[in-house]
Amino acid sequence: MFEYALSVMIFLPILAGLAMLLFPISRGAARIAGMIVSLVILFMGIEMFIDFSGAGGMQYLESRPWIESLGITYGLGVDGISLLVLMTGAILFPMVFTIFTTQQKGYYANLLIAQGAMIGAICATDLVLFYIFWEIMLLPIFFMIGIWGGPKRLPATLKITIYTIAGSLLMLAALIYVGVSYHDQFGTWTFDIVQLGALDLGGGFAVLAFLMFMVAFAIKIPLFPFHTWLPDAYTEAPTATTFVLSGIMAKIGVYGVIRFVVPVFEIEFARFALLLSLAGVAGMMYCGLAAIAQKDMKRMLAFSSASHMGIIALGVFCMNVQALTGSLFQIAAHATSTGVLFLFVGLMEERMGTREIGDLGGVAYRAPVFATFFAIAMLASVGLPGTSGFIGEFLIILGAIKFNGFIGVLAGTSVIIGVCYMLWMFQRVFFEKTNDRAMGFQDLKASEVLTFIPVILLIMAMGVFPQTFIQKIEPAAQLQVAKVFAMTQSQVAETTVPTPGHNNHKN
Amino acid sequence: MHDFLSILPLLIICAGAILLMLLSAFEKLQVEVASYVSMGFFGAAFFVQLLVGCGPETIVFSKTFNGMLMTSNFTMVAGLIILGCGFFTALSAHSYFKVNLFCTLEFYAIMMFGACGMLLLTMAQELITAFIALEIMSLSIYILVGYDRANVTSTEAILKYLMLGAFAGAFFTMGTALIYGGAGSTKFVEIGTYISANSAAKPLLIAGAFFILVAFLFKVAAFPFHAWVVDVYDGAATPVTGFMATALKTAVFAVFANFLALNGQLHSGWITFLFYVAVLTMFGGNLIAIGQSSLKRMLAASGIVHSGYLLIALVAISADHFTGSVIGYYLAAYAAGTLGIFAALSYLGGEGEKRASFDDFKGLAKVRPYSAAAITVFLLSMAGIPPTAGFMGKFYIITSAISAGQTALAVLGVVSSILSMWYYLRLIITMYFHEAEESFETVGSPLASAGTFALVVCVFAIGLYPIII
Repeated sequence: MFEYALSVMIFLPILAGLAMLLFPISRGAARIAGMIVSLVILFMGIEMFIDFSGAGGMQYLESRPWIESLGITYGLGVDGISLLVLMTGAILFPMVFTIFTTQQKGYYANLLIAQGAMIGAICATDLVLFYIFWEIMLLPIFFMIGIWGGPKRLPATLKITIYTIAGSLLMLAALIYVGVSYHDQFGTWTFDIVQLGALDLGGGFAVLAFLMFMVAFAIKIPLFPFHTWLPDAYTEAPTATTFVLSGIMAKIGVYGVIRFVVPVFEIEFARFALLLSLAGVAGMMYCGLAAIAQKDMKRMLAFSSASHMGIIALGVFCMNVQALTGSLFQIAAHATSTGVLFLFVGLMEERMGTREIGDLGGVAYRAPVFATFFAIAMLASVGLPGTSGFIGEFLIILGAIKFNGFIGVLAGTSVIIGVCYMLWMFQRVFFEKTNDRAMGFQDLKASEVLTFIPVILLIMAMGVFPQTFIQKIEPAAQLQVAKVFAMTQSQVAETTVPTPGHNNHKN
Repeated sequence: MHDFLSILPLLIICAGAILLMLLSAFEKLQVEVASYVSMGFFGAAFFVQLLVGCGPETIVFSKTFNGMLMTSNFTMVAGLIILGCGFFTALSAHSYFKVNLFCTLEFYAIMMFGACGMLLLTMAQELITAFIALEIMSLSIYILVGYDRANVTSTEAILKYLMLGAFAGAFFTMGTALIYGGAGSTKFVEIGTYISANSAAKPLLIAGAFFILVAFLFKVAAFPFHAWVVDVYDGAATPVTGFMATALKTAVFAVFANFLALNGQLHSGWITFLFYVAVLTMFGGNLIAIGQSSLKRMLAASGIVHSGYLLIALVAISADHFTGSVIGYYLAAYAAGTLGIFAALSYLGGEGEKRASFDDFKGLAKVRPYSAAAITVFLLSMAGIPPTAGFMGKFYIITSAISAGQTALAVLGVVSSILSMWYYLRLIITMYFHEAEESFETVGSPLASAGTFALVVCVFAIGLYPIII
């Protein structure tokens, strides 16, 4: 029954969004239509999650030739690596449509297009198809920040767009280099990621291509030296866009590394792993420290999100099963915690007209339900045991220590920074003095409570029963790590020069 | 019979041009009717070209013309692009001349003569034929550029173009003479055989080839012969600029590719030269485009950049199995995007092209969302963002460059397209992220807007079904 499920999940939102743009309908109708579409995707996503066997291979495969002269296929599929990323893209959207009721129809349309393109990028098994969706998903973000963003939206839009497009065009060159190398080595054209894994790349151009790929993904994640677009874009973007950016789009950067870079460039990846993981840890610390100093709540969350992306990326670079599983788990956990926190801040901004931490205070006395929800999401974000954030961070730090003790210790200590800025912010905003603004704050309405309850429950369920999720992703992670190790080991074995005096037969 | 069929489109256009010329002598016909007539002829020729198709390479009327003309899949595609450009130019000219009243019947006749020259140029397999076709084309374009005689910028444009174009023509003749002196023939094939039998390192051949390359590079506005293009594009009427930017470039690149592909030795001898020309064209064009405040000038400069990309494809062509598919595809993609934006400017420009700069289009999306969306699609296609035609074109060009071992050129091409994002995005930002200052009312016929939306469909259709010849 799920033969074309992925295609439907990709093109239903895109077509609905385009139709919304083309036909003159009211904003209310647009919102309802968007909500219906996102609910359909949600149910398909849940059904897919339950149905997913977790055997490690690709499921729901779709493949048909598209441009045969270059071996480009329309290939889709889901495996343990993409499953949770796909889930974050599929199940979190209805919230946006229920909570923000005052936007224009173009905004809802752009959100839907972004969702379709992101699901496309997550499911694509063909490198070119992935690239196409990867580029398309930037366009709605560009328009959403530029048209509906905050006062300083123009520089923010330009920054994120030029940054990202520069990265992706470099990736395009690298991607074509990979395809051409495959053609040179095997005589046929293909961009299918499974077959590209057989490539044996080497030499200066391979390193260059690897770096180009990594720059593209590092910009999107964002990894430490490439993060400068993030605070502006996250702060200026309208709430739902920030939510999409931090909750899902950043994850696709990490996912892209796991899916497309690691299988093709095993050797280069292994060689650069230490450097990259240092960048991850540096990003964690730097962005965490920067978050402490922020006065604007949204900007603080932006830095906190960047800091968390550092640890998720670190899990990928450690190249062992624990860290990789932790990263994949943390992708979902981070989307449900930090993503939801952005929505909460958006709500506060809508009701109180400010995001300045200094202007707020005593919200918890007026709105206990809201404060409880906020606290749960926040504690998940800092990784309290019993919430989703703990499992992911624990696994990543475990893997990091296994990979390199120094990195592991650094990662472990910088988690504490997260606790500092989050709790301090919570104290200043929700307790301490009350002011008039906070006195007028309305607690969550019933419809909003209903919207947030499933996510809050999900956060706790992921923390208490992590095995439900981990068992679906672990086989794929094991497979991935095993493949990389097989490749790097064989390469090392091939290049070993027998040294005199060393008994080679003993091994 | 097949020989006749393959030059039938050329004959149709020629007949249409003569018919219009005769009709204009009677001074009875309306200008609008003339545009319908030329649309009809372009459309008919397009379909004939499409139906006839073209199998493998055929020498047309080999006895009569002594192998001067050859058709292949590549010339067919180039012909289709030229005819399509003619059709859409007539469409946007119809709207444009409703508000800018300086058109006479001869305009369409001359445009069709120009298209004749272009079609002939794509098929030329010999230097003298190429020269004649080049001059037929250029003379018509000179007249079209200076059609608005009362306008000072237009007069300046034609003067510049005519003087420099005449020099280029003279270079071409000189090159032909020198090559004939060196190789003893003006046919591409025989020059190729002579060079591979002997050597290209003869002074006569080097000088001859150099002059011919200069002439071609001038016509496609490659560095360092690109300086004219900004002023000329700016001075010409908008539909004419669109026609020049697309059809003319297609024709010249077709003959350029044929010339280089048939002379493998010549190509490998000049490859370093072409490499640097391509790089400098891309970056020079980008630098010019970034500084412009007028849309037409920006588009002219971005045309230079696209010439640079096409030069990458020329550097990467392999003489052994040349199909021209990459160049043909890129030209089609580029033509759809560029024609589309010029069609949109034709009806949005208003009387006397009063809306011409970036600032004049502030807030277009708020008032005319569909037009703004169409322009956005064209700009994204030119910038090479998927899923438009421009992306696939760029994809093919980079693939061909890397396959040919020109990885450095491919990377430089990518860097150049990062730079070009600046001015394409700038227009999108102007249209979408600012408040509207005027109402963008347009009078006149809806044909140009219809053409614009047809081209939007073309951009996506070419992009999603990339048929490689």
